[in-house]
Amino acid sequence: MSQLAVGSLTVELDEDGFLEDHAAWNEDVAKALASTEEVEELTEEHWKLINYLRDYYAQYGVAPMVRKMCKDTGFDQKKIYVLFPGGPGKGACKVAGLPKPTGCV
Amino acid sequence: MAAKLDQGPPNYKEMLPPVILENYGKWKYHEIPRPGVLKHVSESGAALYSVRVASPRLVSIDFVRDVCTLADEYCDGFLRFTTRNNIEFFVSDEAKLNPLLDVLAAQGYAVGGTGASISNIIHTQGWVHCHTPATDASGVVKAVMDDLYEYFEEMKLPAKLKMGLACCLNMCGSTHCSDIGIVGVHRTPPRIDHDKIRKGTEIPSLVASCPTGAIRPDPKNKSVVVNNDKCMYCGNCYTMSPAMEIYDAKNDGIAILIGGKVSNARSAPSFSRMVIPFLPNNAPRWPEVTEAIRAILELWIANANKGERLGEWVERIGWERFFSLSGLPFSNMLIDDYIFARETFRTGAAFKY
Repeated sequence: MSQLAVGSLTVELDEDGFLEDHAAWNEDVAKALASTEEVEELTEEHWKLINYLRDYYAQYGVAPMVRKMCKDTGFDQKKIYVLFPGGPGKGACKVAGLPKPTGCV
Repeated sequence: MAAKLDQGPPNYKEMLPPVILENYGKWKYHEIPRPGVLKHVSESGAALYSVRVASPRLVSIDFVRDVCTLADEYCDGFLRFTTRNNIEFFVSDEAKLNPLLDVLAAQGYAVGGTGASISNIIHTQGWVHCHTPATDASGVVKAVMDDLYEYFEEMKLPAKLKMGLACCLNMCGSTHCSDIGIVGVHRTPPRIDHDKIRKGTEIPSLVASCPTGAIRPDPKNKSVVVNNDKCMYCGNCYTMSPAMEIYDAKNDGIAILIGGKVSNARSAPSFSRMVIPFLPNNAPRWPEVTEAIRAILELWIANANKGERLGEWVERIGWERFFSLSGLPFSNMLIDDYIFARETFRTGAAFKY
């Protein structure tokens, strides 16, 4: 288990760099997480995807399927990989503070 | 510079020995001159010998290098791995065949796995690498193949016998369609870590992962509850959420399934069916498992017709005859009770006392 220092705050990360407790997320944490995912600056498009993921999770309690994510945000999969090189799961969901994807990944 | 992406695997034709490349699609017939050696003859008269050697699947780079050294010396640097993770050395020069076999024998490689034999056991990660297993893979496979080694080396079975091992019910590999399948099973419900669920689990996915609907959301607690009467310990919820630990050193073990096949020869492909619901995990040699498999195997050898796969033999004599011959206890655990189970019940009056 590692830790990530965000200003005066320290958040716990699991071994893959996901938030241990998804309630610990805020915008500064997102910026700090982005720097671990080869995202130098969170642009408006990044925030659109992050906010969409957070809204969807708050409403349904699950991360959206990739098809749903593309349809609702208007970004195709390629675009998502341009924004988050780690991909929709390891990249975008991590920065958005969603739980780590599970199953046979 | 960024790594080259999306390039796919190398073209397999770059790695074929010249004799295969020249005779690609022009093979006439093959024969098995001795166990572990295949001879393919092409229309042009060219012959290719392949020498099949066992591998434990989980190997070190040193092992791979040793195999490469042998391939360099006897096969002009060519070899392949089979779909059951055996190694095949290609010999196009007949004069090199016996020297290769001699050096393989001297260095302790096991030549075999052709024809009516037990070839390698297809298996999974087990305690070596996976987080959901109910048993080990490599250890059980080693114990079983040690016990049945004679059947790998020789072709003295009624038909080929394929074995698969999966360390949990995910059944990665081929246990559901093998003559003998070895599957890791749990016997206790998951232990819920409510705090972990609150901190980071997709509860709807967790609820949906249960095949029997035993998991209900518990909104007040922001967690879930498990109905233990409905749970049959598949462990699928643990795959979805790390908060549902299910492994249990005392109660985890192995179930044995028999009678599956994938080929269309003679009879249609079939699933394997459970005949032993539970054997304990008794590492490192799993004596109960090796004993049970040998007993089933020897019964099949003694009773099957030539060319009859294990499942075909049992279907011919009937399952109750199989249980009375084998002396295996038939318990209610073997009676299917999952949704469309009716198809597996007897709906006719034809049976033997």
